Amino acid sequence: MLTMHESIVIENLSKYYNGFLALDKLSLKVKSNEDVALVGPNGAGKTTALKILCGLIHPSSGAAYINGINVVGERERALSNVGAIVETPEFYQFLTPNETLSYLGRLRGMDGRELKSRINEVLKLVKLDEWVNIRIEKFSRGMKQRLAFAQALLHDPPILILDEPTLGLDPRGMVEMRDILKKARKEKTVFFASHMLAEVVKVCDKIALIDHGRLLVYDSIAHLKKKYRKSLEGVYLKLTEGAI
Amino acid sequence: MNTEFEKLKIVTRYELLKQFRRKRFYGALVIVILAQILVIGLYKGLDLPTALSKPSLGIIIADSPELFAIFMVSMTSFAVLAAVFFAGDAIASEFEHKTGYVLFPNPVKRSTIVIGKYLACFLATLVILSIGYVISAIALLVLYQGIPVGILGSLAISIALVFGVLGIAFFFSSLLKGGMGATIATLIIFMVVSPIIRSSLSYTGHEPWFLPDYAGDAVSSTYNINFAQIFGGTLSGGGMQGMMTMTPNPVVSFFVLLIYALVTLLASIWLTKRKEMT
Repeated sequence: MLTMHESIVIENLSKYYNGFLALDKLSLKVKSNEDVALVGPNGAGKTTALKILCGLIHPSSGAAYINGINVVGERERALSNVGAIVETPEFYQFLTPNETLSYLGRLRGMDGRELKSRINEVLKLVKLDEWVNIRIEKFSRGMKQRLAFAQALLHDPPILILDEPTLGLDPRGMVEMRDILKKARKEKTVFFASHMLAEVVKVCDKIALIDHGRLLVYDSIAHLKKKYRKSLEGVYLKLTEGAI
Repeated sequence: MNTEFEKLKIVTRYELLKQFRRKRFYGALVIVILAQILVIGLYKGLDLPTALSKPSLGIIIADSPELFAIFMVSMTSFAVLAAVFFAGDAIASEFEHKTGYVLFPNPVKRSTIVIGKYLACFLATLVILSIGYVISAIALLVLYQGIPVGILGSLAISIALVFGVLGIAFFFSSLLKGGMGATIATLIIFMVVSPIIRSSLSYTGHEPWFLPDYAGDAVSSTYNINFAQIFGGTLSGGGMQGMMTMTPNPVVSFFVLLIYALVTLLASIWLTKRKEMT
């Protein structure tokens, strides 16, 4: 049963890659304005789950919904509510940040002054405002990650789906992007995959811990710490014991 | 929210901008211009009509604007070659270089993305092709004070050829993982596979009207000049002679190329929709 209070619903989601089971009947729900981190060991299926939510790969079975809209059946409509960073995105090297964001903004129905003003706003937010008209081919990994943040926030989506969003950033960049996420979580649903538990604690209230494509635990960080009488790292290590 | 048609215009616009920023666009443009200047020099400097004539066989080839146009327009084939390089990585690079992680999570259909990219590659090639035809027309006006009507038919077939070449390149770009592989596969189809089949059929007296490179040769058959008479008895080396003794029908060739374009573009859309960003 889907309700409008659930931004993201994953139901019995399975995904095989050439016979390898990456997701095994994964089910979880993220309520509106909740901030949930998807954590787990390497190869647990975190990125696979996010890719299915973003319409980048097809599930072998099961369903995924964004704001009640089936991602597989109505991909475009479902994605209109989402801002995403998946894996380590690359940008068209011949374009500038301004052109890239104009392109993506227009595809999302933005135009004119609204788009121009929003581009300036998000580029300032990610501290790329001095690089507006420089071709991306000159950008470092960290600068591209900042631009990835800018494109995810450009259309002010109610839902953010982020895969290792601070990957490639220097310590200052990590803090700055974390601050952006902290602000965003007040009014948006944030669902993000991360290996960095210290970051997870600062940004999220709940975690979904998965391993071998299966959900091990889905609870608030505070409750898990209390239940296991350990830090989040301790909880993680205990629950993923034996994992590669 | 935009309609898919509006999104198509946006994709085409920005993909075209990308093409115009690439060095290969300007490289192809310079090659076409230089090749045409070279042809003017060679045609006039070596007096090609006389060189092609074989009085002992009773073949006398007179200089004419039509013959000159054939040589000039054949140089625009470099524009068609450029189309392969524009299109080869159009789809494959989204997966190979991971730019698809930014583009695909947007609310736009993959079919719109493929068609937009296709149109952008077509328009970029059309710019080079048009410049080639304008240079041809200017040269004809200066040297012969007139332009043969056949040049319009030739331009129409060149455009159909670009559509066909782009379709085949897009098909491979959607099918294969790398842009380089797609480019090479398209070139192999046009420069190796098709000519081998073509020469085999020609030697046995069958017209290879359905082959893309044979249909593409129709760019030179809109001037009512007999290929067999000009090239058939004069080219040395033997291997190419069989291929030159038939003249492709412009109308049939035009539709053959459009069918190639349509079928391969539809296949490209189907493949891109199924392709996963793994």
